[in-house]
Amino acid sequence: MAVDGLSCSLKASYNDFNLDVSFSVRAGELACIIGPSGCGKSTSLQLIAGLLKLDAGSLILNGKDLTKVPVHERQIAMVFQDYALFPHMNVEQNIAYPLKIRRDPKANRKDRVARLLSLVALEGYQKRRSQELSGGERQRVALARALASQPQLLLLDEPLSALDAKLRKHLREEIRRIHEETGITTIYVTHDQEEALSIADRIIVMNEGKVMQQGKGEDIYNSPNNLFVASFMGEGTTLPYSIIPKTIVNPESTRPFVFKPQEGEHSIFFRPEQALVQDDVNLPLSEYLPHLKFKDAEVVSCEFQGTHFRLACLWEGHTIICHSNHRPKKSRVTLGVRMRNLQEFLNGQSTTKSNLSNFD
Amino acid sequence: MSATNNLQYRRFYRTMPIGPMAVLTLLFFVPLLFTLSSAFITEEGFSLSHIFSVFSDPYTQKIMGFTLLQAAVSTLASLLLALPGAYLIATYSFKGKRFILALSAIPFVIPSILVVLGFVIFFGNNGFLNKILMDVFNLQEPPLKILYSFPAIILAHTFYNFPIIMNLVSSYWEHMDDTCESASWTLGANKIQTFFSITLPRLIPAIVSAASLVFLFCFNSFAIILVLGGGPQFTTMEVEIYRQARMMGDPSTAAALSLFSILVTSLLLIWYNTTQKKLARSETYRNARRNTEKRPASLAGRLLALLYTIFSTIFVLGPIISIVVRSFMAAPSRSAQEVFSLKWYRQLLALEQATGHMGSALGALTNSLLIGLTVALITVPFAVSLSVAIRRKQKGSSLLELVGMLPMTVSSVIIGLGYYLISSKLRGGMSLSYTLVVLAHLVIAIPFVLRTILPEYRKIPLSYMHSSLTLGAGPLRTFLMVEIPLLRGAMLTGGIFAFALSMGEFNATLTLANSSIVTLPIVMYRLIGSYNFQGACALGTILIAVCVIVFLVSEMAKGGTYGR
Repeated sequence: MAVDGLSCSLKASYNDFNLDVSFSVRAGELACIIGPSGCGKSTSLQLIAGLLKLDAGSLILNGKDLTKVPVHERQIAMVFQDYALFPHMNVEQNIAYPLKIRRDPKANRKDRVARLLSLVALEGYQKRRSQELSGGERQRVALARALASQPQLLLLDEPLSALDAKLRKHLREEIRRIHEETGITTIYVTHDQEEALSIADRIIVMNEGKVMQQGKGEDIYNSPNNLFVASFMGEGTTLPYSIIPKTIVNPESTRPFVFKPQEGEHSIFFRPEQALVQDDVNLPLSEYLPHLKFKDAEVVSCEFQGTHFRLACLWEGHTIICHSNHRPKKSRVTLGVRMRNLQEFLNGQSTTKSNLSNFD
Repeated sequence: MSATNNLQYRRFYRTMPIGPMAVLTLLFFVPLLFTLSSAFITEEGFSLSHIFSVFSDPYTQKIMGFTLLQAAVSTLASLLLALPGAYLIATYSFKGKRFILALSAIPFVIPSILVVLGFVIFFGNNGFLNKILMDVFNLQEPPLKILYSFPAIILAHTFYNFPIIMNLVSSYWEHMDDTCESASWTLGANKIQTFFSITLPRLIPAIVSAASLVFLFCFNSFAIILVLGGGPQFTTMEVEIYRQARMMGDPSTAAALSLFSILVTSLLLIWYNTTQKKLARSETYRNARRNTEKRPASLAGRLLALLYTIFSTIFVLGPIISIVVRSFMAAPSRSAQEVFSLKWYRQLLALEQATGHMGSALGALTNSLLIGLTVALITVPFAVSLSVAIRRKQKGSSLLELVGMLPMTVSSVIIGLGYYLISSKLRGGMSLSYTLVVLAHLVIAIPFVLRTILPEYRKIPLSYMHSSLTLGAGPLRTFLMVEIPLLRGAMLTGGIFAFALSMGEFNATLTLANSSIVTLPIVMYRLIGSYNFQGACALGTILIAVCVIVFLVSEMAKGGTYGR
């Protein structure tokens, strides 16, 4: 068990919802908890903060057991979804609040507030009232206030969900910068996979009160543990394993593919950017590369998404999603996916000894 | 998944309501127990015979019938007067609309003794209205002779209550989206068909709710019936309870009668609550107001709006202004015309030899101010801690809220009766009597103050408290540094409200107090009884000033919330 950082195992149940998760975050790391709404990610955060009571489990932060410590003594700060800036205080009073609680000398407080405000790039905002601030400014003040308490751990509960898309992107870079400057261990809750991928050192994917997978962003995206993680972290197409013999192109030069269908729901999965589109007869894939070839797929829809076109194609009753650099000239196209880009799942779980993953 | 399960905090919030609950039990249930026990317990012990004999008496039955009848007629009259106004306010924008709306808030703050006085001064045989009519039409006799009759009761109740209906219905109407009406027009219905088949049915819950509230007020009306009814011919339950207890010396009959009153009031309150819930469910409120920018189109409409404005101004403001005007008038000699004079204020402040009941006016004023201040200072912390308990408690919070609102189910006359029964058991001097007055006022004020503070407390997002906790402040510090400052406006409004309620409290005070106890409304009542109307007006003007302050403060506090 790591001495530095957070390691926790949280068990709690509410009516018909059971939460049972355990994960750890290394000191100085920024971890994202991601999952669909109702998966228990905000509940986990409140359990860590101490706002909710654990039924069982443990919570150890920097070697100290916090399981029985009350909220205000945990040194775990939290930025709430609605920011919760106290409306009867101005920006300075809000940020100085934890300093006042700790009885810091008055002169220090002013200085510290000024430094925190410059950290969040809001110099000179001391006397503003919270109602006069824009959403993004409120978010920064809330962050500065949380940092003022010099927490051992910082919790951010969907801090950007109330902001518009452009501002979200900017502020998420800001949060990353502030995290790098302060080095505070941080847990960030979001339901937006793009946000999680871009900001986090480590991602914890949750569903229905359980941890589905944790690890680096690229690992989770590229080799998901199960179909839930695969489809939650990005788009993709799931097809039955049984279509392989019909579509496989496996030149003699490489080793032969052994078709081994198994009992249960046996499926393959690939991301849209890994499916290549050809509107003429030939694929842009060389024939010597082992791949699946979906001939005569009908283009059902074609959406322009700025960097690429997103196509939905109907092939023998299956919908295949793929990206293309240009709009297909024909209504019927051929699609190709390399064998190495296929993921194999049995009953929703990744098959660890897949003969696909070692292919080519 | 409500938060704050932590034991430590639970303990903090669990201990909060213990004090208030104990006090409320003592203040409310003990007097009620006295009342009920004197209804059931006779010399032979527990018995229902007394109750039976009271309720089988045709005289009692007649009073019960009359109480319900006058309440029904008053409600109907108020509806007739209020609905056109509600229509105008909700549909059009016209000059004087804001003025009417402001006027309609008056009955919420004005004490009933002022209504009585204003009514006598304005509609009485020597009242302003008769004088004006006599001057205009050159009459020798006053044309309106309505005082001390059934119409007087109805008219006073209407004056007192129609603005309440107008206010409630029009605010509901204004927020009702008008796309349904537009849809009806596009489907081929004309304006009148649309009104009766679409608009009116949608309004019914609001109308029923407002009407039941007014019915409740009229059912429990006391001062108006006592003075304007003018005798046993027009006696309602409340007045009869007072008469039996204090004039006939038969408190056990009064207690028996109060059973009926409590029963009806409770049923009405339950009914009112269901209408309120229905109201909340029946319409998905839209924040965008309907289009009320249009002015009345036809000449007739414009005239109607103008007439309504003038009429309601005279009707509501006339009596109040009359009180103020009359308080500055006095006749230099018995036969002379009345001229401007500060005589009554000089008597009030004991600057000149007072006549009759005016002698006790200064004492009454200081008493009322002191009692009001005490009541305000006690009820506010009481209501705050009760609000905290209600919001934080997961189980039994609705029970707690119900207990807090319970004093509303019992009319103030019956609360007065309970304290009267207690005082007859205790031996004590003046200070005991005044203490009982304060306690009775507390019981009456608590539900109102709770109703001011609890909704504001509920508006504070839980995340404020949670973030204070995560920032290192304990529950007590969070309470003092976050919750209390955010409630400042509501606490001020609630306090002022309690103060005004106590200043104008008449029913309970009259029922419980012996003749040596004087408060402002009591002295006003005695002055009216001895036909010294100008003196009563001088005291009334002070009460009006208090009401104006309440009104202004509550308006200011509305604007002063933190824009949440």
